[in-house]
Amino acid sequence: MSTQRIIHMADLSAINSSLRTLGRDLDSLNAQVDAVQHDVGATRSELARLEKAFMDFVAADVKAKELSLAETRQVKIRQELETRFGHYGEVRRQTTGILQAADISLVRQDTIRAASENLMLAAPGYWLAPALVALAAWLNDHKDLAERALAEAIRRDDEKTSLLFALVSRRAGRLAASQQWMDRYLGMQNPVELDRQTVVLIDAIAAGVFGVETALTCVARTSDWIEELSQRAGFIESQRSQWIDALRSKTPHGDDSARYPHLQQYSPTWPALQASLNATATHGAVAQHFQAVFSGEVRATAGLAADVDALLTKLVSHFDVEELPLRRDEELCRLIIEENGDRAAATSRFQLQDPALEHRISFTQLLTNAAMHPETSHASRATQRFATAQSRAWILEAHHDLTASIRLAVPTQVQLHLDGWEGSTTDGGNQADLEAALGQHIDGRLAEALASVKLGIHHWLVMGLGILLMLLALGNIVGMVIAAVMLLWVYMAYRNLDKQRTKVRADFAALREQSQQALKACVAEVVEVRRDLAARDAQSASVTALLESITPDQFTLGGHDNTRRILAATA
Amino acid sequence: MARNLLLGTPATTTPTLTTTRSQAATGLASASLDTRLRQKRSPAYLQAMAKLDAGGHVHDRQALESLLAQIDQELGTIEIQERLLGIVGRCYLGHPYEVHTLDLGGRITEHFKKGHPLPLTLERARVLATHPSYAFIEVYATRMVAVSESGQTAIIEGTA
Repeated sequence: MSTQRIIHMADLSAINSSLRTLGRDLDSLNAQVDAVQHDVGATRSELARLEKAFMDFVAADVKAKELSLAETRQVKIRQELETRFGHYGEVRRQTTGILQAADISLVRQDTIRAASENLMLAAPGYWLAPALVALAAWLNDHKDLAERALAEAIRRDDEKTSLLFALVSRRAGRLAASQQWMDRYLGMQNPVELDRQTVVLIDAIAAGVFGVETALTCVARTSDWIEELSQRAGFIESQRSQWIDALRSKTPHGDDSARYPHLQQYSPTWPALQASLNATATHGAVAQHFQAVFSGEVRATAGLAADVDALLTKLVSHFDVEELPLRRDEELCRLIIEENGDRAAATSRFQLQDPALEHRISFTQLLTNAAMHPETSHASRATQRFATAQSRAWILEAHHDLTASIRLAVPTQVQLHLDGWEGSTTDGGNQADLEAALGQHIDGRLAEALASVKLGIHHWLVMGLGILLMLLALGNIVGMVIAAVMLLWVYMAYRNLDKQRTKVRADFAALREQSQQALKACVAEVVEVRRDLAARDAQSASVTALLESITPDQFTLGGHDNTRRILAATA
Repeated sequence: MARNLLLGTPATTTPTLTTTRSQAATGLASASLDTRLRQKRSPAYLQAMAKLDAGGHVHDRQALESLLAQIDQELGTIEIQERLLGIVGRCYLGHPYEVHTLDLGGRITEHFKKGHPLPLTLERARVLATHPSYAFIEVYATRMVAVSESGQTAIIEGTA
């Protein structure tokens, strides 16, 4: 009776109220946990974005530094060239200066003689100084001095001196002498190890500077060189790799990730696709190169003297061996600047075109350099045409091989990784299958996530303890209250499961929508990238057609002796 | 005046004009293995290969023997020297068939569906065989030769 009375009197409203508050707090806590989870997700994606932005920044910074370094270094190299070889410049300028002064008889012979002798003192060891003294002495009719100076020039650099006087004699209209000097020059040449300046000789032939006889002799000699080289073991293989390298040097280093952002983000195959996009773009670049070579006027001549002067300036300005290491560094800097600071791309281009800056090269390499790298080999457009015509068969073969290897390297399967799902497509034709597979994957993950939304072991433990306590504490108000609180806590957790499930479903619905959109975008980009690759690949046919269309008529050159000759036909 | 200066040593050799341009310009005079491998394939050979797609060779031993004789005639000793393993071509039987092969090891012809792997030694030719620019691919031990419809060849070095 007394016990019943106590129970009757007990006021549980405060406890009830506290439990309700606790329930509300739990709801609020759950909401907060959800908010934190959402924030963590947002922070993670933000962090990934920041990481990408940071990496982009680092890459851009490295490029900017490389660019600035290359610009500074280029200036330094030019200064060094000026400091170490600047005095050569004056000697070089005077070569054509003396000839032009003699043409118009404006300068006294004494002045020319004195100037050339001063140069001899100013540029010790330089082959051109005694050659100029010889030239001045020749003009002044000082046989003894001329012979001694010439002997010294020949001692210093026989090949360049011979070529210089072959050109000077031609300028003076002394064809027999020119022929003799040319014979001397040609006789010294080994087709396996030619000096780079031989390109001046090819320029002279292509520009029609020499008389018909000399030109024919030179062309016949070059044909002999090719014949001699082709008899050597491994010639065809070396030609092939030489030309493949030369064609590869035109490969652009483009970045198409802005056009294919989804593939870049979701496909591990993207780097290979980008490499293939660049490789196939080689055809377009090569076609453009040869179109430029074969379009426009072959030569805009200003007369024999001007043509020879240009060749003389080229001969004395670009082919000195001691300058070569600096010229090579300068070229690398130029390529880094051209590639906007991308050192790796510049280095690979430099390595592919490095033979253009070798001191001694084979005649076929000289033709390759002249045809493909006129800026470093200093070949004129006429020479480029001549070299291309001579090498047409090799270029075609190398281009066929290169095209096949580029086609072989194009990835057949494009892998896609989307939120833990992996799939692959060839050309986007299996889009429906991919979407179904992705849907199944997300369904699977949803089922897993829903399965994980359940009462935990601690809930079951608390419930068990609560029931036990309730039974044991029958009549004990404190025990019963504690048991009730425990059971209520479990009930609240159970009631919250539905909310969690609804949220999981909503999250996965959003994820499904997002992933399917990303997949559709990826497939669309795969279709586009295949179309792009096919279009770039089709350009290979235009290179083939262009090279096959080369006819001897395109090398009909007008000389300065009122005769016309077709080099390709006579060669 | 000029003559005195220009009495240089005469040329040690005199250039000759006997070389024909075709030899010099193409450099194909040396009959190396590489050159022979690169030679344009004959129309008869291309035609024989095109017949492979008709499917008759799978069961008809006589047709297969005649095809093998045609290969012998076309490639001669290269076939042995370079170890021709087989030929892979694009299949025109239609979906789901993708490529057909002539395996010279087992002397058998087979048609393969999309996704079905080719014999190990011939699989590397699959990508090029399906390219519309090539009629078929000759697979050698250390290289492949892609042959176009016109008989033009392209050599791909390596076994990868």
